[in-house]
Order: sequence, then C-alpha cells, then structure tokens
Amino acid sequence: MFGNFLDQFWSLTFGGLSLGFIYILIALGYTMVYGVLRMINFANSEVFMVGTFATIIIIRDVFKFTQTSEYATGPRLWLILGTALIASMLVSGILSVLIELVAYRRLRRMNSGILAPLISAIGVSMVLAESMRIMTDSRPVASPRAMEKSFIGKFFDADIRLDNTIIIVAAIILLAILMAFVNKTRLGKAIRAVSMNGNAAKLMGINIDGVVSITFLVGGLMTGAAGFFYVLKYENSSFSIGFELGIAAFTAAILGGIGNIKGAFYGGLVLGLLETYASFFLGTQWKAVTVFVILVLVLYTRPNGLFGEAMTQSRA
Amino acid sequence: MINLRDKGADIWERSNRIERTFIALGFIALAASLPFFGGTFLNTPIADYESVLVYPIAMFVLMAIGLNIVIGKSGLLDLGYVAFFAIGAYTMGLLGTRTSLNTWEILPIGIAMAMFSGVILGVPALKLRGDYLAIITLGFGEIVRIVALNLGTLGRSEGILNIPTPPSVFGVEYSFDSHRIYYWTLLILILFAIWMVRRLSVRRAGRAWESIRQDEDAAELMGVPTFKYKVWAFVLGASVGGAAGVFYASKTLFIAPDNFTLQISILILACVVFGGMGNIWGVILGAVILGYLPDRIRFLSDARLLVFGLVLVIMMNLRPDGLLPRKKREKPLPKQVQ
Amino acid sequence: MSNSIISLKNVTMKFGGVTALNDVTFDVKQGEILGLIGPNGAGKTTVFNVITGVYQITSGAIDFDGKSLSGTKRYKITKRGIARTFQNIRLWGDMTALENVVTATDTHKKSGLLSGLFGMPISRKEEKRDKARAQELLDFIGIGEYADRLARNLPYGVQRRLEIARALGTNPKLVLLDEPAAGFNPSEKVELAATIRKIRDAGYTVLLIEHDMSLVMKVSDRVVVLDFGQKIADDVPNKVQNDPRVIEAYLGVPEDAS
Ligand SMILES: Nc1ncnc2c1ncn2[C@@H]1O[C@H](COP(=O)(O)OP(=O)(O)OP(=O)(O)O)[C@@H](O)[C@H]1O
Ligand SMILES: [Mg+2]
Repeated sequence: MFGNFLDQFWSLTFGGLSLGFIYILIALGYTMVYGVLRMINFANSEVFMVGTFATIIIIRDVFKFTQTSEYATGPRLWLILGTALIASMLVSGILSVLIELVAYRRLRRMNSGILAPLISAIGVSMVLAESMRIMTDSRPVASPRAMEKSFIGKFFDADIRLDNTIIIVAAIILLAILMAFVNKTRLGKAIRAVSMNGNAAKLMGINIDGVVSITFLVGGLMTGAAGFFYVLKYENSSFSIGFELGIAAFTAAILGGIGNIKGAFYGGLVLGLLETYASFFLGTQWKAVTVFVILVLVLYTRPNGLFGEAMTQSRA
Repeated sequence: MINLRDKGADIWERSNRIERTFIALGFIALAASLPFFGGTFLNTPIADYESVLVYPIAMFVLMAIGLNIVIGKSGLLDLGYVAFFAIGAYTMGLLGTRTSLNTWEILPIGIAMAMFSGVILGVPALKLRGDYLAIITLGFGEIVRIVALNLGTLGRSEGILNIPTPPSVFGVEYSFDSHRIYYWTLLILILFAIWMVRRLSVRRAGRAWESIRQDEDAAELMGVPTFKYKVWAFVLGASVGGAAGVFYASKTLFIAPDNFTLQISILILACVVFGGMGNIWGVILGAVILGYLPDRIRFLSDARLLVFGLVLVIMMNLRPDGLLPRKKREKPLPKQVQ
Repeated sequence: MSNSIISLKNVTMKFGGVTALNDVTFDVKQGEILGLIGPNGAGKTTVFNVITGVYQITSGAIDFDGKSLSGTKRYKITKRGIARTFQNIRLWGDMTALENVVTATDTHKKSGLLSGLFGMPISRKEEKRDKARAQELLDFIGIGEYADRLARNLPYGVQRRLEIARALGTNPKLVLLDEPAAGFNPSEKVELAATIRKIRDAGYTVLLIEHDMSLVMKVSDRVVVLDFGQKIADDVPNKVQNDPRVIEAYLGVPEDAS
C-alpha cells in the first residue's frame, strides 16, 4: 500500500492541490463574511452549488456541448472556459448579495444575536437546495466535457493534467487579484477596517451596509469561481453538492483560522492534500470523518486554527 | 402572542401550590387526551393523526426540550444533536437484537451512552468559542452517521432490522400499531424532561447557564465554573436525545443511517429557535408546528421542504426571538424578599 | 509587608508590541482603600485583568494571601477571594438584580447541579440563605428596591452600583472597582465615596480605579499612579497630589486633573 502511495504521490498531490484551491475559494466566502460580521455564512454552500450549475448551463446549453461533442480547442476553448468562469462568478456573486439582503440584513439591523440569522440562512439554503433538487429530479447532473484532459507534462513520474493546471493557475491569479483588491483599493481597505474593528470603522464614517454587500459580493464571486473549477475537475454536480463541499470548505476556513484570508489559503491547501492522501489509504467513504478528525485535533491543540487570531481568548 | 405568554405566567405566579397542581394536572390531562381529538381533518397524507402524534410530534418535542438546555439555556450552538439520538437508537438496535435485554433495561444504557459521548465530544469542543462549537458538533453528527453507514456491525446502509418493541408494563401492551400507548409513554418522558429543566432553571445550574449565555467572561470572573456547567448542559441535552433515540428505535423497529441525517439536527434546532429559545412552552409549540407542518403540507409533495425553508426565513425575519420568546417581563415591584 | 493582601512584583504585561504594564510593583494592605490612578491608557484596567486572570502576565509575580495566583483559573481566583467590577458595565441583562447577585453567591455554594435537581435539603437551604444574603447586599449598596427588576432596564447609576453588589456577592477579601463613579454627577459621587468607605469598614479591602481626583484623594488611604504602564508614584494622597512627576503626567489632560 505504501509503495503504491509513493508511486502515486505526485499525481495525488496535484489532484489534492487543485481540490485545495477549490476549497480555498469557497472558504473565502465564509471567511470574509466572518471577518466583517463575525457570523457563519451558512448559505455560502448553496452559492457554490448554484455556481456549479451556472457553469454546466453555459457549457451544455449556451455552447451546446453534449456528451458526444468534439472537444473544443484553441481560442474557442478559452472563450468557453472564460465565459463559464465569469458567468458562474457573477451568478454566485449576485446571489450572495441577494442572500445577505433577504436573510441577514434585517436581522443584523435588529441586533438579533447569532442564532436567528443562522436559522434564516438555513432556511435560504433549504430553499435553494430544494429548488435545485426539484428542477434536477433529485439526480446528479453530468456536465459534458468541453476540453480534452490531456497531460501537458510530467513531474517526477506523475502526469500533469491540463484541468488541474488550469485550476491551480487560475485560482492563483484570482487570489492575487483579491489580495490586490483588499490591500490596495479603498473598498478593500474599508473591508479590512471593518474586520479589525467594526465600531471604529463606523465612527470613521465607513458605510457598513455597503461594505457588507461588497464583502458578500466578493465572497460570492470567489465561491462561484470554485463552482466553475469544480465542474471542470469532476464534470458533474448535484443539488446536494453544496452541503458536501461547503462543510469541507468551512472546515478549511477554520483550520487556517477563520476571519483572515491567509488562513483560508493555508487551511484549504492543507485540507485538500490531507483529504486526498487520506482517501487513498482509507477509501473515500471515510473522507468526511478524516476531515473532521483533523479539524478536532487542530482545534484542540491550536484553538486559534493553524494561522489565526486567538479564538478562545476574549477580553474583559 | 406576547400577552398570552405573560398572562399565563401571571396566572401561574398568582396561584398557590394547590392551584398550580391543578393547572398542571389539567394540562397533562389535555395533552394525554390529544389522541382522542384528532378527527380526520388532522390526518396527514402519509400517516394518520395518531401516528404523527408519536413521530414526529412528540419525539420532536422531547428532543427540542433536550436541545433547548444546550442552546436556549446556555447559548451553546449545537448543530449535531442528531448524534445523540442516533447513539440512543443504535444502542437500542444493537442490544435489542443481540442480547436479551428489553427496552426498559436498555433505556438507561442508551442514555448513559449518549451522555458519555456528550462528555467525549463536549470536553474538547466546549473549550472553543461558539461558532467553532457549531461546526465541531455538526461534524460529530456526520461522523456518527458515516460510522453507522460503514461499520458492518451496525448494518451499514441497511441498518438494523427487527428491533423488539418494549415489553408490556403493568399489563399495557406495546404493539406495533398501538400509537396511543407510545404517545403516552413519550408524554411521560417529556414530562420528566420538563420537570428536570424547570427544576434546574431556578437553581444554581440554571443561573450558571443563564450567565454563561449572556456573558461568559463575566460569568467566569464572578466565580461560575463555566466549563463545568457547559459540559453539564451538553451532557443533559445528550441524555434526552439518547432517551428519544432508544424509544424511537423501539417504536419503528427498524433504523438506518438515513434516519439520522443533519436534517434532523437542523429541524430540531429550528424547532427551538422558531418556537422561542429558552422558553420551554415556546420550544414545545415550535416542535409541534415544525413536526407537523412538513407532513401536513405533503400535498405540496415535492416542494414541502422548500416551503418549509421559506417559512423559516420569513419567520426569523418577522419574529427573530421565536413565537413565544423567553420571559422578558418583570415581576411587579412591590413584592420583596426579606 | 506581612499585612499586605495582594502584591504585584515586577509585573510586565505585553500585547504584541504594546507594553501595557512595565515592571510594576506595589501591594495592597489588608483593610485599606488603595486608589489606582493614571491618564487614559496608563494600564489601570490591565492591572485588574492580570490580577483576575483575564491575561497571563508576561513576567513578574502576583501573590494573593501569601500564595501565587499564576496559573489559577479565573473562577478559582474569584473563589479565593478577589472580585471585580467592569469599566464598561457587564451585568447579565436578562436576569434581575437579585439574580445577578445570587449568581455571584453561588461561588461558594456546596450544592451543585445534582443536589439541585433532586431537591436535596442542602441545596434548598443554601438557596434560601443566599437569596437573603443577596438582598442584604443590595440593601447595603442602597439599591434594595430594584431587586426584582431586570438588570438591563435599570437606570445607569443603579447598574453601576449593582456591579459592586454583585462583586461583593462572591464574598471577596479584595474588591477591585474599575471606575465605579464614571458618569456620576457630583452628588452621586459623594454618595459613592461614602459607600466605598462603608465597604471597607465592613471588612473588605478595596483597590479603586477612578478618574475623579478629588474622589480618589478623599477616600483613598494610599494612591498608586501609573503612567504609560509604569508606576510613577505610590504614597498617601496629599503627597501624591504634589508629586511633580504626577503633575507632569497629567499635564495636557486638564479634565482628568479636575
Ligand atoms: N487585549 C489587549 N490587546 C492589546 N492591547 C491592549 C489590550 N488591553 C489593553 N491594551 C493596551 O494596554 C494599554 C493600557 O490599557 P488599559 O485599558 O489598561 O488602560 P486604562 O489605564 O484602564 O485606561 P482608561 O483610563 O482609558 O480605562 C492601552 O494602550 C491599551 O491599548
Ligand atoms: Mg480602564
């Protein structure tokens, strides 16, 4: 078994990295909102789910791919991928903003504590997942393959797959843009100011509602991108995908230390890799268990997450 | 709604011991006679009224009361409550089919197992801040289900079949379709849980939980052993969930991992919050409505969970403290303790 | 030295780059009222936080009643006899005033959850005793008539006093009061000064943070002055008042010197 593992180490690692980047992007939807509102954005998982379907619709219905179509190549391929990426980002981003308006905003104004928004978010998740279930007849939906998953090179003995490469490169570019946005632009700085100290930010005249909407938008955009990458990698989706990936991504956010972007990054990578390795040894059915056992161990030994601020300490 | 609650509390407070006993007995009698007033209009499309009264309604009420100790009283966000229900049910399933123990003998074992897992889960998890607790408990719930799904001894996805019904007590027979008997037994469990919660609420434990919920740091600094009381809340909540599980398995006679999904945790949580966290009557009302509603609106067939989700969103936005929120009114000024 | 109830020796508290307390040494003597003053951000509240275990000190030592406090859990520190109030009121708003104090008295109860559940006589007896005790404390602080009101609906001044009553409820040897007169008008301040003396006369030792100089100077037996985390004076009130370093520390902050 172990010899096998070494043989496959690099291909597993590439697969794990691309999964890790998907987690990172979804985790951003949790972590950025958490940073600003100190609240679990429970419905983010369904934002992801909708993103995957947006991608499938673009590939299947807009570009008319079927299971038997020929693969797209060259500029046409990039056009298709680009359109699908942007479409799922936009759909998810807008949905995320709407969810905030419908499910959270009123409750936030009323200062209702953390439970009421959580239940409200659970309600929204149910509405989204159930609508999708009804529309898809409770069945998983396959995405036609738009591109050939060719091997573009070798690393040690492992073949490097094109889709994994695209995911990793594109995700890094997106993250770089996000970092530039958060660190360099006025809006981004406002988000950071609110994350650090909401009251002070309010006193400085920052429009909190505006910042919250932008945060949900950005989180949704990133989560939507993850939806696209997911379909690219696994070529299917289902109404319950949000729940599965959402939990893992949330775990990733916590693993790294929720509330900060760096934490989502490391947490996502660590989780993507560990999960892939663990599935190799234990079989995929224990995947979720592994994830949670890791989470519990990390939280127990490092309650702040691997890279995060103190989460058990509080000030008096 | 608010007035109704306050009025009720007023009457209760003005009554003396004997009057209170009568009021309580009256309510118990009313609850116990529920199986008789169903009529057909309360039947749901999939099951007749009496069986719906047992599951989900009474079962949800019991679990919601248990979860309310954790969430409503102490403010600990537990998203994996179904785990304790599952542990109770599987204890019943395993011991009931493999040993000669009967339901009544297994009940304390199931409760103990649930409490024990409450400690195992609670001791590490309760050191963490609230949101972390939420996700850890959610994970725990999933782990229990996945373990059941993958372990041969627990029957994998087929679950456990042929679980025995409870043996008769005092000549009362439990047969598969004697819903009333099950309902009355559950009612006794519910009354016991209510008694426990009410009793604890007015004593040291209740104050400790309340102070933790409102300001944990202040509580700790005022000498409340917060960790110990959080673990207690967790374990007591687990015990109720475990009891519900044992009884559930002994009623349905067949359990499978699909009965213990995250959805159940969320539904019970919704009962607590929807009805009014911290207020036992609110919680009961919430459980009755949310237990009944999804079955009742089955005529919407496929869309019923969708509608249910909508109801949650709308309700939370209109009444974030639930239908019957916890007591906010004050006792009249003149009355003084001297 | 022998009669000091708590002593801080070379206590340093750093938050990342910020040194909130720098090598602070002083002690509080049994039965005295010690004033702790200093400009905003001087580190006064931090002294309370390190004593009560909210933060672990970076270096130094804190001894209470002859024994070190280091590593003691927060609620056990309270149990050992230190109680505090908070600068920004932190009552349990959804409990009545009386319940707030009774919860504090629970610190020393022998009965726990199970004896409460089964209605054991000890639990019943303690409940009764502590309710009476809590009412006594409310009366002692002068807010007895508010016993059955929810804490969050109480007038601001009553809330501040309730904080004190709650601290006394834990039956402490040492009471830490963090700006108990903040927001009070002059006549309320006079009343509070009397209350603080009454507390001391009832046998408690008091460590008092207060911005109002005249109040501090009037009630304190001794005053410790902090500035930028350092102790700059430690003496009887009228010596401190004339200490050039203290005057300098307060220059430019005239409203604090009033
Ligand atoms: N948890 C913390 N993290 C970082 N810095 C802190 C923390 N607590 C206190 N400080 C810093 O320590 C210094 C002393 O703060 P402290 O609250 O003790 O002042 P204070 O004397 O009580 O002031 P005030 O009169 O305004 O209440 C301040 O610079 C403050 O910013
Ligand atoms: Mg201060």
